[in-house]
Amino acid sequence: MPELRGSFGDQPHHILTRWFGTPDLHKLDVYAGKPGGYGALRKALLDMAPAEITNEVKTSGLRGRGGAGFATGTKWSFINRDAPGPKYVVVNADESEPGTSKDRYILENSPHMLVEGILIAAYAVGANQAWVYIRGEYDEPRRMLSEAIEEARAKGYVGPKPFGKEYPVDIRLYRGHGAYICGEETALLESLEGKRAQPRSRPPFPAVKGAWGRPTLLNNVETLATVPWIINNGGAAYAKLGTDKSPGTRLMSVSGNVRKPGVYEVELGQTFRHVIMELAGGVTEGRNLKVFWPGGSSAPVLPASMLDTKTDMEALAAARSMGGSGGVIVMDDQHCVVRAAYRLLQFYAHESCGKCTPCRVGGDWAVRTYERMLANEGSQIDLDTLQRVSDGLQYGRCLCGLGDSAGWVIDSTLRHFREEYEDHALRHECNVGAVTASA
Amino acid sequence: MLDEIKELPARYPQPRSAVMPALDLAQEELGHLTPEAMSEVAAALELDPGYVEGVATFYSLFHLEPTGKHRFYVCTNLSCALRGANEIVDHLKAAIGVMGPVQVSSDGLFSYEEVECLGACEFAPMMRLDHRYHHDLTEAKIDQVIAERKGRKEEIHLPARRRGASPPRSPGRSVAKPPGGETHVAIEPPLPGPPRKAGRGKRKDA
Ligand SMILES: Cc1cc2nc3c(=O)[nH]c(=O)nc-3n(C[C@H](O)[C@H](O)[C@H](O)COP(=O)(O)O)c2cc1C
Ligand code: SF4
Ligand code: FES
Repeated sequence: MPELRGSFGDQPHHILTRWFGTPDLHKLDVYAGKPGGYGALRKALLDMAPAEITNEVKTSGLRGRGGAGFATGTKWSFINRDAPGPKYVVVNADESEPGTSKDRYILENSPHMLVEGILIAAYAVGANQAWVYIRGEYDEPRRMLSEAIEEARAKGYVGPKPFGKEYPVDIRLYRGHGAYICGEETALLESLEGKRAQPRSRPPFPAVKGAWGRPTLLNNVETLATVPWIINNGGAAYAKLGTDKSPGTRLMSVSGNVRKPGVYEVELGQTFRHVIMELAGGVTEGRNLKVFWPGGSSAPVLPASMLDTKTDMEALAAARSMGGSGGVIVMDDQHCVVRAAYRLLQFYAHESCGKCTPCRVGGDWAVRTYERMLANEGSQIDLDTLQRVSDGLQYGRCLCGLGDSAGWVIDSTLRHFREEYEDHALRHECNVGAVTASA
Repeated sequence: MLDEIKELPARYPQPRSAVMPALDLAQEELGHLTPEAMSEVAAALELDPGYVEGVATFYSLFHLEPTGKHRFYVCTNLSCALRGANEIVDHLKAAIGVMGPVQVSSDGLFSYEEVECLGACEFAPMMRLDHRYHHDLTEAKIDQVIAERKGRKEEIHLPARRRGASPPRSPGRSVAKPPGGETHVAIEPPLPGPPRKAGRGKRKDA
């Protein structure tokens, strides 16, 4: 059994993790033996019309857990179910956003929850084939998901007549090969088609022209894994959890300088104080919180003074950040914000697909500027350069979100930690320890 | 292997999707992707060799250089760096006697690479080795996995193309450990220089 580090199943609001920790939950018999296990698929296929399923998801208010937070039911309704020809469900299991490990938590602990969600989604949007694009490094999660699919195939849930219903669905896996950009939905589709993963310009959106030019529903692992609960319990029950505009729960992977790093299922609207100080046990002994990334490395940082910010998407937007991927990275006061930003800019520069200029050039430019500052050769010019590069990456100047994310790292750390940047650039000093970056 | 590759295209709505699974098979067989291997994959899939190479160079899990029998993929992204990943890398480099990611240990067994977030940040610092994740790394754990694999050395087949002389050992950076044996350590600022790896968008285009 995979090691569980985090919360599971001990709170009334635990939806996704309610059975985690059950021995052999990854086995079909164990999962199907739980109340409702594969019951949602049966209900969807036998008792509900496809449009009813989509409506139930709309009622739930569920929003995508991959990063953008788009309304899931609305996305499903964009697919013209009656259009002739193949349609696809593509599952984004690329999980590569720094600080994010929550999809792995689902894949390793409850793969059937995802399989069930995929099958329901396929029926709702009229697809007969689903593809799971899973990052190449996830050897163990891939094996577990693959076994789950084969078990479901043996039971007939994946196949020509699930629960006796004439609605054939197949699920196949596609292994990624190490590139953060493949998490971006259109880059993922390019990769699935056997190309270099460079994002497409939109429109057309994947719902109209997605994988192999066909209408495609693309959802994150956690998004789809939430669907069986919604079908079993009703969209209205889900909408009662969380806040009005960000209903439900989400998995947050908390990492960095906390005492209990782990994946925690959090009801949206709870504060980050609850997540970091209570669930994750607070900051390392003897240290103080300095800063946290509330939704993966791409989400603009929040300083310790904003610990009472709530986890729902509206509260985060008001704090000029976002819920992003649900990865909470916590950094204590022994570490330097400038060096942390430098490390992340190295990441974005390396992962840039090179398609658009501000991102291809801006990332390297920022890296070199940080290097000058950290070698005590900085000046006011470097601070101005960073701001300019950051502006150049944002405001729709790039084709995909990677550029914005790189800009937000610079922009938000500069905004909240100006003094630390000035220490480096103008006074050539650093009062704290290192987040080291490799040369 | 080529026969197996020729069967791949039929499994996808369009044959081009077979390129990565095909490169996978080739790399599994050869350890890394040689120009000849890429040309053969291209021929088997009826694709342009330049196209296949363009795909191979885009993705980090394809290796165009020989790797050790066991390659350490150590995550040094933020969550792992905050918990001592860079010190782990320093220790590993010294332990296997290599300076950088293109080098292979003199016995042909080991190489390493720093990688971006592997999606297991709650187990930081962590790495991937031999298709498995290793959690909560310490220097002692690194020594242990190396020793285990050296112990198995007799049974394994060494890669045909071995590196020559033992590379100079990593000079090792001066590491000041704070009291209490904590894993968070302060080291000197990184030296200015080119980015540590060429970004994927800047690599050879197809
Ligand atoms: C650079 C970049 C990386 C992304 N990485 C991921 C990822 O690893 N997993 C994921 O589900 N979504 C990722 N996304 C978001 C996807 O583009 C897409 O919005 C999401 O998968 C849609 O699913 P959802 O509506 O269920 O959230 C990424 C976006 C960008 C711009
Ligand atoms: S923003 Fe960066 S990663 Fe995205 S398409 Fe442009 S160059 Fe590629
Ligand atoms: S940062 Fe190392 S696994 Fe995520």
